[in-house]
Amino acid sequence: MYKKLGLDPPCSPPILLDRTKVRGEFGLQVDELSGQHLYACYQCGNCSSGCPLAQEMDILPSRIIRLAQLGQKEEIIRSNTIWICASCFQCTVRCPKGIDIQAVMDTLRQIALDEGVDHFGPDQIDSKHAAEVPQPGLVGVYRKLST
Amino acid sequence: MAKVAYYPGCALNERSSHLDRSARDATEILGFELDELESWTCCGAVPPVSKERIMNLIAPSRILKDVRDSGRDMLITICDFCYNTLKRTNFSIRNDDIIRKRVNAFLADDTPSRTYLEEDTTPWSDYEGEVKVVHLMEYLRDELGYAEITKKLKRSLKGLKIAPYYGCVMLRPFDEIQLDNPENPTIMEDFVRALEAEPVKYPYRTECCGSYLSVSSPDASTRLCYRILSSAMKNGADAIVVSCPLCFYNLDSRQKVVLDAYPDFKTIPVFYFTQLLSLALGVETDRQGFERHYVDVSPALEKIGNSGEGDKA
Repeated sequence: MYKKLGLDPPCSPPILLDRTKVRGEFGLQVDELSGQHLYACYQCGNCSSGCPLAQEMDILPSRIIRLAQLGQKEEIIRSNTIWICASCFQCTVRCPKGIDIQAVMDTLRQIALDEGVDHFGPDQIDSKHAAEVPQPGLVGVYRKLST
Repeated sequence: MAKVAYYPGCALNERSSHLDRSARDATEILGFELDELESWTCCGAVPPVSKERIMNLIAPSRILKDVRDSGRDMLITICDFCYNTLKRTNFSIRNDDIIRKRVNAFLADDTPSRTYLEEDTTPWSDYEGEVKVVHLMEYLRDELGYAEITKKLKRSLKGLKIAPYYGCVMLRPFDEIQLDNPENPTIMEDFVRALEAEPVKYPYRTECCGSYLSVSSPDASTRLCYRILSSAMKNGADAIVVSCPLCFYNLDSRQKVVLDAYPDFKTIPVFYFTQLLSLALGVETDRQGFERHYVDVSPALEKIGNSGEGDKA
């Protein structure tokens, strides 16, 4: 087994489906907030195969979409996938069903942020690093990963 | 000299001021001036999360409306993040009635000249997306023409193999940006050819360098940068050319970290496209801010024989 960091294939844990969650409002809420039609996804996996950061994620982007369709909010907001996504739009331009997956990711991030703590705050960056990074990086990270 | 409205954005104003300066030097030689807006604010760097978050559209809309109100219909930006944010905001205002109405409701409130309504004869014109947002590279391609650049070359970059790096937000999402093919772009390759250098094709030219992850998950960004940089080198590149301050930071400064993590790695110089342009148009090497690069650029400059005074007449 190849053990180099970042090269292990991501594997999602098995989940137990129940009627209340699957029939719940979560999928529709994501649809409405992102302006996308989530249920159009037929799991071709194009987004996951093109994602440059898929190796860093615990749940692949296509599986995130499936989990959202099934109303698995807890699984999604506990995953690191939504915080690793760099909003590079690779999935968006490649989706054969025309779903703006990046907008869905943004929406999921927003839902997770509304639920609880910020993923990344100003205290988590050392001042020397912060003095060097161009401002779009700093503004971007705080807008995407904190409330 | 023709003047075009120019929005530098925060990075070019300070931490990437060498990108700004080389762009101004080059455009002056090419016969137009980057006319910086009298007042501007941050554009917000990333477009809003969802259509509900109308607040995130206000800053870029205000910038665009100011350009329109000053009687101009084109705005040049260089930073890819500003370009993406401004262009996508403009697209939303043009194509979405509800967004247009809501944004204009906010903009009407914060315009100070509207306090004396009786005397104010200018119409309450809503901003409807009239301004065209262009990237400097797009302007060079479509308005000026790359052939025009080749005519004005003082130094040919012949012999230099350059790998263009597009990054993410310059090309995508295609529906709204419409700059070039998102999977097989040619705008930078053509630019490199216009400078008489040789473009290098490599598979990672449109892959993300990690963008803001270099702040929140630096290790992930390091691995991405290693992939991009080593792929460019494997295909024979002497240097990489970028247009975005954040791509530059990730690909240049991060090579320090990449070197520690991957012992087989060798550094490769990274240039802004404006630096190559102004070099080729005859601007001195010491005006390019090369001392601010982490990776020494002199191996690339030696290849074209102009690290010193050996300029082509």
